This record gives sequence, C-alpha cells and structure tokens, in this order.
Amino acid sequence: MTTPDSSTGASRLRTASKSRRAEMRFAYLFLLPALLLVVVFRIFPLLWGFAISFTDATGVAPSHFIGIANYVQAVSDPNFRDSIVNTLFLLATLPIWVALPMVLAILIDQGVPGGKLFRAVYFFPAVLSSVIIGSIFNVVLRYDGSFNAFLGAIGIDAVDWLGSSTTALLSLLAVQFWSTFGMGVLIFLAGLSTVPKDMVEAARLDGAKMWQIWLHVIIPSLRPIIEFSAVVTTIGVLTSMFGLIYVLTAGGPGTSTTLPEFLIWLEQGKLNQPAYAAAISMMLFVIMAGLAWLQIRIMSRNTNL
Amino acid sequence: MRKTTLMVALAALVAASPALAQEITVWDFKSGDPSLAAYFDKVKNDFEVGHKGVTVKYVMQPHDQYYTLLGTALSSNAGPDVFLMNGGALAKSRVPSLLKLDDKAGGLIKTLTGLDEFKGPDGGVYGLPITLQGHVVYYNKKLYKDAGLDPEKPPVTWAELQKVCEAFKAKGKVPCFIMGNKEGYGAEFFLSSIAATSLTAQEQTDFASGKLKWSSPQMKAILQAWVDTGKAGWYEKGANSTAKFMDEYEGFMRGDGANTIGLLSDVAHWKQFGDMLGAENVGAFRHPSPTIAADKTAGEPKIPIAGGIGYGVNKNSKNVDLAVALVEEFAAADPIKVFVASAGVVPANTAVDLSGISSPSLKSIQGWLTTSVAPTAHANSSSEELEEWHRQSQKLLNGETTVDAAAAALDVVQAKVKPQK
Repeated sequence: MTTPDSSTGASRLRTASKSRRAEMRFAYLFLLPALLLVVVFRIFPLLWGFAISFTDATGVAPSHFIGIANYVQAVSDPNFRDSIVNTLFLLATLPIWVALPMVLAILIDQGVPGGKLFRAVYFFPAVLSSVIIGSIFNVVLRYDGSFNAFLGAIGIDAVDWLGSSTTALLSLLAVQFWSTFGMGVLIFLAGLSTVPKDMVEAARLDGAKMWQIWLHVIIPSLRPIIEFSAVVTTIGVLTSMFGLIYVLTAGGPGTSTTLPEFLIWLEQGKLNQPAYAAAISMMLFVIMAGLAWLQIRIMSRNTNL
Repeated sequence: MRKTTLMVALAALVAASPALAQEITVWDFKSGDPSLAAYFDKVKNDFEVGHKGVTVKYVMQPHDQYYTLLGTALSSNAGPDVFLMNGGALAKSRVPSLLKLDDKAGGLIKTLTGLDEFKGPDGGVYGLPITLQGHVVYYNKKLYKDAGLDPEKPPVTWAELQKVCEAFKAKGKVPCFIMGNKEGYGAEFFLSSIAATSLTAQEQTDFASGKLKWSSPQMKAILQAWVDTGKAGWYEKGANSTAKFMDEYEGFMRGDGANTIGLLSDVAHWKQFGDMLGAENVGAFRHPSPTIAADKTAGEPKIPIAGGIGYGVNKNSKNVDLAVALVEEFAAADPIKVFVASAGVVPANTAVDLSGISSPSLKSIQGWLTTSVAPTAHANSSSEELEEWHRQSQKLLNGETTVDAAAAALDVVQAKVKPQK
C-alpha cells in the first residue's frame, strides 16, 4: 500500500532523477563540440593515417593494399635510420633539458637577486614561433654571422655551425634548448610552490647544508614535476623541431639534422609519398608512446621506493 | 501587371544566370606575386572581354605543396580547368590528366620553343610553355676588372674558368663563385650546367630514363668536378649553410661574389641582377665543363634549357574549348611581352618583340638559345634522386664521403625509382 508520504517521496525521486538526466543531457550537449573536434581532427586522421600506411597511396593513382611493405621500407631506409640515430642523440641530452631548468628554478625560488627579471627573460623565447627563432639564429650562426664575428674578435677561427655535420645537430639542439628552457623553468617554479616550506625549514634547523636540502628535500618533492618535464621534453624533441630544422639546416648537411618529423614532411610534401610518410608517422607515434610510458614507469617506481 | 512581368523576368534572369555565367578556374603558384600582376590582369581582362559571360578565376597554391594538392584534386575529378606546371618531369607526370593540344592550339604551337618539356610519350604537346628556364653563369663585371680580368671576355673553356677563379683567389677579396647549397640547389644547378656540355644527347636521354647510372664515368666526372671546385676554393666558406634562394643571390647583388649560377626566368635572372648592379655591369656566360661530350665542341659550352613554366588543360574540364582558348591567351605574344617587361623572363614565344630591352645578358642568352642549348639534367631526374643528390653533394663538399660512395648511394635511389628491365 502506498501512503501519501511515500508517494510524494517517490515522486520527488522521479523528479530528481528526471532533473539529473536533463542535466546529463545538457552536459553531453556541452561536451559534444569538443568531442566532435577530437574525433574529426585527432582520432579520424590517426586512424586514416594508420590505414593508408598499409597502402601504396600517392594521391594521384588509385591505391592498393601492400601490407607492411612501407614499414619494411622504413627499416631499410638509411635516411630513416639516420633520423632515429639523430633522435637518440638528442634524447641522450634529456638530463640536461630537465636538470638545468630545475636548477635555475630552484635558484630563482631561493630568491637570488634579480630573480623576477630572470624569470621573464628566460620565458621570453617561449612566446616566439620556431620560424622566427630559426630566422634569428640563421643570422647569428651562419658562417659570416654575428657569432663567428664575435669569435673572430677574440681570436677564435670561424666555424660553419650549420653547414658542418659535426656541429649542425648540436647547434640545433642549443637553439631548441634556448627557446624552450624558459617554459621548463616556469613549470619547476610552479612545482616548487608546492614544496612544504616547513620541511625545508626543519632540515635547515637540523643543520642540513644547502646541497643536502636540495638533494634530500626539494628534488624528491619535485619528482612528479621532473617526470612531467621529462615526458613533455621528449615529445617536444620528437615533434616540435620541424620549424627550426626547416629554417636553419633543411635537414642537412647530408642527413645530420634530419629527424623523423622532417623526414615525414619530406616524403609527404616533397616526394608525394603519403603512405610511406604515414608509416613513419605511425612508427614515430609508437616510439613516443613507448618512451613516455617507460619514463612514467621508471619515475613511478622510484617514487614508490 | 507590369510589376508581375518585371518580377517574372527578374526571377527568370536569376534562375538562368548560373547557366549563362561560366567560370574558368586556373590553378597556379604565381598569380599572387605582385610583380606579375600586370601579366595576370592582362590575360584575365583580354580573355573576359573576348569571351562575354566568362570569368577567369585564379587560385594560387603554395609552391611547395602545389603538386601534391594538384594530384589529389585531379585524381578526385575536382581539379581546375587550367593549371600551371613546371616543364620536364613534373609536367610529363601529369600527361594522363592533360588534354592533347596539337590540334586545338596548332597555330600558336608553331611559334613556341621549349615544347619538349611538355610532350607526352606519344610525342604530343600537353602544355604550352610561357617561359624558358635554364641556367647561365652571371658575373659581376666590376669585380672582374678589379681582379685584372677582361670583363668583356668571359671564360668559354674549363681552363679559362680555372684561371678566372685563380685570379679571384689570388686577389682574396671575394670568392670566385658565391654558392648556396643549404637545400642542395647549388649542386643541382651545377649538375645541369656541367651535364649540358659533358653529356651527349643520347646520354642525357639515358640519364633521364635511368639507363645511365650515377656511377657511370660520365656522371662521376660531374661529381668529381663538384669536389674539385670545392677543394680549389671556388666557393665561399659556409656554402652548405647558405640558402640559394635568396642568400646566394642577395650576396651576388651585394658584390660578395664574382659569379653565380643563375636562372633565365622567374628569379635570380638578368633583370633582377641588372636592376641591382646596373645592366651594363652584369654579364652572362655558359658554364664550361671539364669534359666535353663526343657530340659537343670544346670552347662551345651549352646551356641547360627546359620549358620553364606552362599551362595545360584538364582533360576532364567541363569547358574544354574555353580552357584551351585561355591557355592560348596565357602563351600569346602580347601578354607575354608584359610578363617579360615586368618580371624579366625569357619567353617561350618567339614572336614576342624584345627590341625594347637593352640588357646585354639577355642579348647573349637570346643568341645562345638558337645555337647552344641542351636538356636540363636535373629537371629530368626524379625528385627522389634530386633529394639524394642534395644530401650527397653536401657531404662531398664537406669531405665526408667519396665520389664512389656518393655515386653508389645515388645508384640505389635511381634503381628504385627508375628500374631497368
């Protein structure tokens, strides 16, 4: 038997449930544009690229399924192999990419004189596009550029920074580092604001030296930030150097500054081989995902210890 | 009643207007260039006046993605009615999508040169060239005089060119050649300039088809010349980090180098250099070669010539006859005369009156066009071979590889893109 009270309660519940459903519908409606954008511009191109990587598509003639031939070609392609070696070289410098911004951020956080100015100056290059940065350093680093003029003034012979295979990749690396480390400093500064000040103070009162405080208090507290910075830097090195390469070295001399993303553009944009470019893109995607996963695993394990 | 009639007439006009108005779409990578506006405007205006109700619509695409976009559009039957092409391999690879023009534009074809670069495998003409493209060496007469050389007697043999470069080296002020090889284009132009004289006509054909290997003695001689000239100090230091477009040419116009391998049309040509240095201070010569082909004569170098750029008609166009007429308009003498005057091209149309242009370089080039031309080797190479040549040329210039190793790497690419039976 239904009492008036229970009937009112059920009715209220139904109304509340109805209202929640209406809210959910609204929520889905609000989410829809973002979801559509992700599906249309992210998921679909990824699946499309994956699909054409198994074909001989050129954009001109009808395409055919060719299995893993493009992947086999990539493995035997000396240019792709060189691009991977160059990438590994860049990744080997990852500790510097993470450590230097962290050290600078700690120094600023400790209140070195002019800290605010340094923070602004470090961040400034991050707001410039890679093409502008490339154009600036093209003038600076070319053989008759200002850097060689400076070296000449102090009695050092000029170096073809961008035209020699021994220096071109290092030069690119230096420019990329210069243009992005400010962002790293900001990320670490944000992380430092979460380090408990009482722990630092307690360590100081216990007689810990500055380097001991850094090593045993601050840096362990920054582990999640280090992990984040390492992943972001790795992805950045693998996917955001195209503009610099295009403007500064065009991938040369030889293949000394060719990275996978530049090779993808070359195969797609200049050689009209979209299927092969898609296969390299997929390989790059797998490498990036694998590296990011590995880094997170290692960092998580260390944190658990 | 009158109002109703007017309304009906207006509605009929609106309904009929799409059928009456016709639009011819032209794809190119040039029409947005302000220096060429006079030419494109003249073609459009003249054509629209001569063809009532027809509108010409230019769609400029970025050059570095032009052929990818064009290929995609043509393969999906969404291509333009008319499109611009570079002569040589790029035009020939589009022949399946092009309308044969021999019968439709026969009269105009008789007045054009550079047609070979727009011919299909059946020998038919599939595009009308508007300019000629090729390479000569431009030189700075003032710098020649400074180095104690006679500016009116440019070198015609390899030995003479060596002496010129030794004179500039001895003077120590500017390099003999200013060279931009950051993207490998310096080596590309060098290859064609030397091959024009060092390869026979048959060898040029064989190289284009892949029969003549990069490791053949003829091709290796070109690679060796590239290495030797680098070692001899003909080029400025940092050539591999200097962009040909436009760092090299800006350097030449500043007087930072005595010679440069330039173009006949588009950019880096007689007009651009003449405007900057003074037409009387710029000379041109044909690049001599260290080896002379059996069908060539010593002291008579050839210049590599290709059919510059030209227009073709999409065979799937819904307005084929209008499209053909527009292509003829693009290549006609009157508009091309405007093109020459404003942009400094060497025209493919022999009927164009050039008597008003006083450039000594252009006069020299015009003389050679009838007697001293050869195919442009790099225009007949595949894109894959050229990319590999760009890479190998940089390594050769840096001394990071040998001629044999570079030729072997190029052979691999050539065999892949031009397999031989």
